[in-house]
Amino acid sequence: MDIETLYALRSSSGLPSHPAIFLILLVLTWALHMIAVHVMLGSTALALTGAFSSNAHGRRLAGPMLDTAKVAVSIAIVIGVAPLLFVQVIYDPFWYVSNVLSARWAIAFIVVLLVAYWAMYHHYFVGKDGGSATSRWSLALSLALLLAAGFIMHALASQALRPELWMAWYAPEGHLETAGSGIHEFNLGRFLFFIVLAAPVTGAWLLGCRRYLACREQSDAPYLEWIASLGNKLMTGGGFAALICYAAWMATLPDSAAGFPVSLWSIVANASILLLIVTPALFRSASGSYAPFATATGAVLLIAIAREALRHRILFGTHGYELSTYAINLDWYSNALFCLTFAGVGGFAIAYSVAISWEAGKTPGIYTASPRVDRLGGFALAALLVWIAQYFFVGFLVMAR
Amino acid sequence: MENTTEILGLYPTWYQPALGSGWVLGIIAVIHVLASHTSVGAALVSTWLATVAVRRNRPELLEYVRRYGVFLLVFSYVLGSITGPGIWFSATVASPRGLSALIHSYVWWWATEWVFFFIEVVGIYLLVYLAGKVDGRSYLKIAWIFGLASWATMLIIVGILSFMMWPGQERWFTEGGTLDGFFGLYTFAQILSRTCFMLMAAALAGGLIAAYIRDGAFRLEMTRKLAWVGMLGAVLGAVFFQWGLTTLPESAQLLMKTRLPGSFVPAMWAILSAIVIYFATLLLRPGALNVPLAAAMMAALLIFGIWPEERARESMRKPYVAGQFVYSNQIIARDVPALGVKSELPALESRGMLALHPFIPEHLRRIGEGNALEAGHALAIVYCSNCHGLGTTGTRPFGEMFAGNRDAADIERFIKGALVTGNMVNMPRIPLRDDEAHALAQFIASLPLWHSITR
Repeated sequence: MDIETLYALRSSSGLPSHPAIFLILLVLTWALHMIAVHVMLGSTALALTGAFSSNAHGRRLAGPMLDTAKVAVSIAIVIGVAPLLFVQVIYDPFWYVSNVLSARWAIAFIVVLLVAYWAMYHHYFVGKDGGSATSRWSLALSLALLLAAGFIMHALASQALRPELWMAWYAPEGHLETAGSGIHEFNLGRFLFFIVLAAPVTGAWLLGCRRYLACREQSDAPYLEWIASLGNKLMTGGGFAALICYAAWMATLPDSAAGFPVSLWSIVANASILLLIVTPALFRSASGSYAPFATATGAVLLIAIAREALRHRILFGTHGYELSTYAINLDWYSNALFCLTFAGVGGFAIAYSVAISWEAGKTPGIYTASPRVDRLGGFALAALLVWIAQYFFVGFLVMAR
Repeated sequence: MENTTEILGLYPTWYQPALGSGWVLGIIAVIHVLASHTSVGAALVSTWLATVAVRRNRPELLEYVRRYGVFLLVFSYVLGSITGPGIWFSATVASPRGLSALIHSYVWWWATEWVFFFIEVVGIYLLVYLAGKVDGRSYLKIAWIFGLASWATMLIIVGILSFMMWPGQERWFTEGGTLDGFFGLYTFAQILSRTCFMLMAAALAGGLIAAYIRDGAFRLEMTRKLAWVGMLGAVLGAVFFQWGLTTLPESAQLLMKTRLPGSFVPAMWAILSAIVIYFATLLLRPGALNVPLAAAMMAALLIFGIWPEERARESMRKPYVAGQFVYSNQIIARDVPALGVKSELPALESRGMLALHPFIPEHLRRIGEGNALEAGHALAIVYCSNCHGLGTTGTRPFGEMFAGNRDAADIERFIKGALVTGNMVNMPRIPLRDDEAHALAQFIASLPLWHSITR
């Protein structure tokens, strides 16, 4: 596909804001989505190994990891909606073509994810206390399907970066192939890299859990030590594995990305992985620490930026596709609506939700909200009511105009 | 002035011969509507019940809210949160430019809805896991934040769906701005009718949980409460739905009257009556509630209520798929001066689809003696396959069109008389050049032969 065609495939409706804003949000929300995905995969894997393990600590950890996994799937899906939205806005030519060419897989993604989620719930309800063999295998099925869903997303993202091959995939030997049944492009090194990152991120999560559980009364010191040790091992060992996968990915990049492995952004990605490896040594704390998870989040964000730089190198460097030339039809109201809702309503509501669940989790018996937490809830509720009021007010104004 | 565009921004086509890509999208959308309507309605009902539970200090009611929440988590939120993006995925592959038109105009509204969706999902977890673990005042705040955020997701989606059907204000085409596309009378009619139907769906789902309550008196109380909610939701929802239909333009109403099967209106009244009778029965004899009955009513709502309603909505916006400017076959058919959008029909009329579509193999760009059938197939894929099966399967299959007539000349006459001129109210105008009309007619006439060759 030449550049004129790629530009023609852009939406003629244009964008309601500058593309750079969507690009920043895409990278940021994708990084957050991946953090949730990594915790989801890691906690599911720990729940699964715990369910099959004879180690008492491992079996004990399986329960809270299953609870974590359930919530993490939800959070991964919810956060994942945002990058899915933003990628369609600025990379529509690439995303839509890639999806159509593998349409059956794009649809299968939904079914695969659905079965994975329900299989996890099946294990939760049927095998809560250790689990029957069947329910354990349903958890194994869940993990396998989550990985399959990840592979489909990986393939769609990879295909989007090969516009020079689209026509060969859509019309092999010149004849239209409209079934959308093929997976046309994937890179095992790249896929494994993003999957293996689950190990250090989950390791960091465990170190945070260690810190959180230490606040509770009657905490079990040997169990907590075991969790901390496992977290450290996952961070360091998983970090090394990620480094190997990253090297395998870089060694197999297509010609359109030539030179990227020695670029500044690739160095940043390598440094981020090294940071994950040395984090346990940097934040040694007897009672665990939240700092490793914050560090892991920062590292994944840097990797997300490097990933975006790779996309830029391929789409701009090879194909000449410039984001900044996207037509803009500025819409002030919807720009302001999102910013204010995100900061005002979302900020208060999520802060309140985190604060109250955090405090309630640490408190034995019934937790009574502190004045500060209670006030936060009041602000969240008020912001929601104001939002709904403005919706109808603005709506009636538009109608009356 | 002749349009000198070299290439149009048309995507490749996914052709699904068994069901049709539209049906794949439709099935996912209908499942999503059931799950999302149930979850929003249930959020409102849960908020109300949690308020009563806390104010009157009724732990058994709080336990009902918690169990209802667990059911919602496993059913509505798993199904709803996955089929929500699932609609995007299926629309991406079935109707990329239709989805793109919506996304590019309403990206910030969708992002705003995402904020509420996030609050809602966190809220349902808090509602379930903090039941009985936080003080009553805090639990009420959690319930109200959850309920209002859930309703706000609907407020946004309804506006986008309204735009999809018909921009709220005619001036949107010339002045632009998302507000004029978003708000119209139909938007408000939908808010009312959908809120009521959501409460009805929540009452049906709530019955499934109530049927498991062991305490007889409490079970009867909950059954009656839910029956009242469901009854009011069904009756008021039907009233607002009727009002919503009157707010649509004449052409949409004409399409509804002429293009929907005759059984549609009676079927809608039948399912509504069945649901009202069901709730009335529960009011008079709450002991009649049981799990199979409640589950059967949920299934009936999905199959006989939501599916035809969604199909009707799709039919009424024909031949457009979004904002009355993108055809269902992905061609931009109307100028939207405010956005700088130009109709692609003039360019297609003068230069032809095969010359302008980026995903046409080079040997099909010009029609000759040796490629007419294949060129006709490519034209059918691009122009027709979104709504028609190109054989004997799928929706409205070509094999059943033209009353079995396989005379190429007759078919070509029909194409030129009705489609090229845009004389069919529910179909897009198909601005084929003479050679293209001939090739398409040849392809349709040769369908049995084509299938035997390509099998």
